[in-house]
Amino acid sequence: MEIMVLQKRARSSHANAAAEFDHLLREHVPALYRSAYRWTGTVDRAEDLVQELLVRLYPKLDELRGLDRIRPWALRVMYRIFVDQLRRERSSPVQFNTDPPDDGNEEEAQDLIDPSAGPAELLEQELTQDRVLTAWERLGEEHRVVLSMHDIEDYSLPELAQIMDVPVGTLKSRLHRARAKLKGLLATERISTVDRV
Amino acid sequence: MDKDAEILRQALERLPAPEPRPEFIDRAFAAAARQAAPSRSRLAHLVSRWETWVGVVVGAAAAAALMLLVWPPLLSREARGITLALNEMRDIDVLIDSERALDGATIHILATGSVVLDGFENEREIDWQTHLAQGSNVLSLPVVARSTGAGQLVAVIEHGGRTRRVTINLMVRDRAATRT
Repeated sequence: MEIMVLQKRARSSHANAAAEFDHLLREHVPALYRSAYRWTGTVDRAEDLVQELLVRLYPKLDELRGLDRIRPWALRVMYRIFVDQLRRERSSPVQFNTDPPDDGNEEEAQDLIDPSAGPAELLEQELTQDRVLTAWERLGEEHRVVLSMHDIEDYSLPELAQIMDVPVGTLKSRLHRARAKLKGLLATERISTVDRV
Repeated sequence: MDKDAEILRQALERLPAPEPRPEFIDRAFAAAARQAAPSRSRLAHLVSRWETWVGVVVGAAAAAALMLLVWPPLLSREARGITLALNEMRDIDVLIDSERALDGATIHILATGSVVLDGFENEREIDWQTHLAQGSNVLSLPVVARSTGAGQLVAVIEHGGRTRRVTINLMVRDRAATRT
């Protein structure tokens, strides 16, 4: 006969587990939400993403307790959820209004850049918040993710390699393409603005 | 990073990113806890070790367990009553004994009246499904006497449309009354 006794941790109440989960995660939620917003571009989708993240993490409370740095770990989980969501959306007959994936199409990104574009095309004073925001919204989600985490949130390439589970070399390439694409969009947007004037 | 990249980076850093709505954060944490299938997850480690089943008996840990033999049809058994002192916690043994392996058996534990399961104070009912293989096992359930008066611990096992139900009556008295 086998005798089984509930372990002490199993006896901790649901309320206690929820409180501990809250204590561990709550301080990280604003930063995770901002990442989600930059990736998705909308409040609704950012909330959905963070909500799904918390649902996925709750059963991993034991693992969370042992982590030195929760945020990069949570960001990695959120990134995977986001990638899965994108895959599902792209295989769905209902599509979000976002750029198609063009991660491998560096030529297209380069084509969007005005050949004469140099420092003069990226005059800092011309990069108004509205212009950058408009270009950002037109950027593909893959590009937004890598730029968001590297250029805005200051994750290093080795950290990003872990979060996104890709080699550093691939990341450098993605980052280059993302910047080129954004630069191209800014140049295009500037030209169209000039055209309208 | 070249000059353009640096200019871009600085421009991106200035992009506004909204803070999450406070009500969203509260709602998200509540939903995460609610969707975590609490009963199953907390007992999963225990359930995963259950490999057998034939009948059920509930009894006090200190008392001799009452064993039901092999799966008679739709039989309900009531074990003798147990008296607890107020706020006392006592392990109540549930014996599960099966003559054959059973997949997808549902186990339902219900604590009513003056008693709750320790660690599950906000949940009167706990359900989970498990695979049970041939043999006998004892599950020790920690019961806490939360108020004076009568209470019950009910174990229901369902499989293949058949149900076994075992009820144990519990009486909780305050400590002064218990001493007299």
